[in-house]
Amino acid sequence: MAERLSLQGVSYSYPLPGKGEVPALRDVTLAIEPGEVMCVAGSNGSGKSTLARICAGIVTADGGVLEYGGVAIEGRKALRSLRFSVGLLFQSPEDQLFADTVERDIAFGPRNRGTKGDDLDRVVKESAEHVGLDLELLQRSPFSLSGGEKRRVALAGVLAMEPEVLVLDEPFIGLDHEGREKLKDSLRRYRESRGASMLIVSHDLADAWPLADRFALLAGGELRALESKEELLESGSDLAELGMALPQWGELAKMLSEAGHPATDVSDPSSLAEAAAAMLEANRGRR
Amino acid sequence: MTLPAAENGSIECRDLSYRYPGASVDALHSIDLTFEQGRLYSLLGRNGSGKSTLAMCLSGLLLPSRGSVTSVGYDTRDESGEDDTDIRGRLGIVFQDPDTQMVAMSVEEEVAFGPENLGLKRDTIRSRVESVLDRVGIEELRTRQPLRLSQGQKQLTAIAGALAMEPSFLISDESTSMLDHASRSRIVELFKGLRDEGMGVIHVTHFIGEAVGADHVVVLDAGRVALQGPPAEVLSDPERLVALGLEPLPVTSVAAELKRRGFEVPAGILHGKELLAWLRG
Amino acid sequence: MAVADITIGQYLAKPTALHDVDPRLKLLAVVTGTVMIFLYTSGWSLLAFALLLLAILAVSGVPLLKVIVSLRAVWVIVLITALLQFFLTPGRIVASWGFLTITEAGLYNGIIFSSRVIVLVILLAGLTMTTPPLKLADALESVLKPLRLLKIPIERVTTVVSITLMFIPNILEQSRKVVRAQMARGADFESANLFRRVRDVVPVLVPLFVKVFNDAQQLATAMDARAYRGGRGRTRLYPLKLGVLPTILTLLFVGVTIGLRFIF
Repeated sequence: MAERLSLQGVSYSYPLPGKGEVPALRDVTLAIEPGEVMCVAGSNGSGKSTLARICAGIVTADGGVLEYGGVAIEGRKALRSLRFSVGLLFQSPEDQLFADTVERDIAFGPRNRGTKGDDLDRVVKESAEHVGLDLELLQRSPFSLSGGEKRRVALAGVLAMEPEVLVLDEPFIGLDHEGREKLKDSLRRYRESRGASMLIVSHDLADAWPLADRFALLAGGELRALESKEELLESGSDLAELGMALPQWGELAKMLSEAGHPATDVSDPSSLAEAAAAMLEANRGRR
Repeated sequence: MTLPAAENGSIECRDLSYRYPGASVDALHSIDLTFEQGRLYSLLGRNGSGKSTLAMCLSGLLLPSRGSVTSVGYDTRDESGEDDTDIRGRLGIVFQDPDTQMVAMSVEEEVAFGPENLGLKRDTIRSRVESVLDRVGIEELRTRQPLRLSQGQKQLTAIAGALAMEPSFLISDESTSMLDHASRSRIVELFKGLRDEGMGVIHVTHFIGEAVGADHVVVLDAGRVALQGPPAEVLSDPERLVALGLEPLPVTSVAAELKRRGFEVPAGILHGKELLAWLRG
Repeated sequence: MAVADITIGQYLAKPTALHDVDPRLKLLAVVTGTVMIFLYTSGWSLLAFALLLLAILAVSGVPLLKVIVSLRAVWVIVLITALLQFFLTPGRIVASWGFLTITEAGLYNGIIFSSRVIVLVILLAGLTMTTPPLKLADALESVLKPLRLLKIPIERVTTVVSITLMFIPNILEQSRKVVRAQMARGADFESANLFRRVRDVVPVLVPLFVKVFNDAQQLATAMDARAYRGGRGRTRLYPLKLGVLPTILTLLFVGVTIGLRFIF
């Protein structure tokens, strides 16, 4: 079960030759509760990737405090132990496949942690199941698989380390509809089985929408809003100004809500249809 | 920006089939399609449906295993030798990954690359570069190094590079797949503008929203044409699209649900605003 | 996030005086320099050449700090070769610990060899920082033109060379990405255990090669799509112009470089 991961007043700048220090994050405060899925959204340059890396312990913040489970993460030892609790999935994870069989590739992570024998077999099989990978594929070469299968192998490799917190940096880029659905299913399954928390970095709100509990909107390195789906729909957060847009059903839901007929579940067409039907009835009644 | 006269301004696929070397099935099977200049086409399909393979065959970069592709008057198989600069000049193509399309160290030289390869005179090259940078709206990036631009800017540069060859058709092989929302919109708007100016634009994508403004939509499935027609027809059947591995527009799902409940929803609604206007009565 | 400037072979956007010099002249200078670096018999020649080189780069406006940073990638090789020379060259013993001995000849050889490599890297960095790969390819083709008579496909050679040069930053960026991802999976690149470090090189090399190979293919397709057929029949927006002053200066440089062999 995951613990609470919190950032308080975290800042980070990196040196750019000729331009001095460029601030990537300014005074960001937020917390990911145990078992929560948070989507960190923003356009290019908003600092979302930097935020993900700090949470995963591979970049140290310049200022502010990072805490996991109430313990401040300071110094190399603490950072290294954080990395054991936090799994990180980069963009195009299939680019890191290297082993001669799928099984060995997935086993790489847990083996590095000292897992052996039966435990290792178990964790490899479980991860393959989480991502919906056919067990027959375990003995095949990862390079003989399709693009979608490769990505699943890569995800299984990270899940095999049994992280409590999973950080994903733009995991949906380049995936088609089926690919996105399969990834979301895998993440849901993993979350249910381990009570894991997740941080999903995305420039597109639509991708993480069904999964996310809350959305952290970043722009220019600052946290502009931290809202749930409902709040996002209601609030005045000017998404266009931040370089983002509500997923289309979000727009529809918003319009229905403004017309006086809010839908109960904003991402379900049936529920939107209910609201639309209610609106039709009401209008017919008036005529 | 001038466009060449449309002598034989169409791309025709006749019984086009393609099989990758060593593969056990066709990637494309008996495709019959025609693409005209001055129209915007959207090619949709799940991963593996053959849409990128089709784009490559249309551009002549892949030659048919069976059947033929005749692009702007040239059968692509006749043009596979040393002198295929003609067909390359007439069909522009941009690809999915912005990073593996950049060759030069400045946007200006990047855009000039194609015309240079065509052996055009320096003055011609210069004027083309000017007008294309202006048309695509990236003049301020002229001296920047392409590999240091944002992904969206790189794709705009790649498109500019293709346009500089003054092609009759521009083929986009999932050029928006790796971009953020704002860049995608900008590029789709650019495609619409080019279509208005008389160019044929064929945009392969898996984002259904990008097909809404097309003149004609073609949906591929397992190497064959599964569905084609104007967007209002093709995109408004959500169940069919789901069966083809695509994510339907939420508006169409809602409209279909309302139909199921007995309401007479007008056909071809693709925008939330249209639905709302109808709901209001 | 700024792809923190990967300096080896990284083309400088801010133009220096060397940017405008015809790449053929730079090529001549670099080839001469490379050959002479290994022909110098005296450490003084090497030092004088190094100073001359650094002076030229500095005067042209090349940021020397970036040049020094580009040495970071080779210091490991340099150190290893130097140490091997120190310990394994026979001669008069200067210092010893147990069975390890350093000889006077070993010390001298080690230092000279390392210096050669360092100066070579600086020379090459100077070239790649100021010359776009495509222009370098043009220069190579121009210089190799006579070989066409022997039916050697020089276009292919120069295309390969230019794509390789273009890919250096790509290769570096890719390797960083892969290292990061495998580190996130527990691969240890900082371990004291040498065996582990060597073993963990495979998870980096394999995906690196696969990705770079695929990227190169994609790039080749993109170039083909823009009618690239090598240099033949290609016009240039900015054609190569020798220029009187640069040519004279280059010939002077070549002369001095060769002359240093005989002065010391």
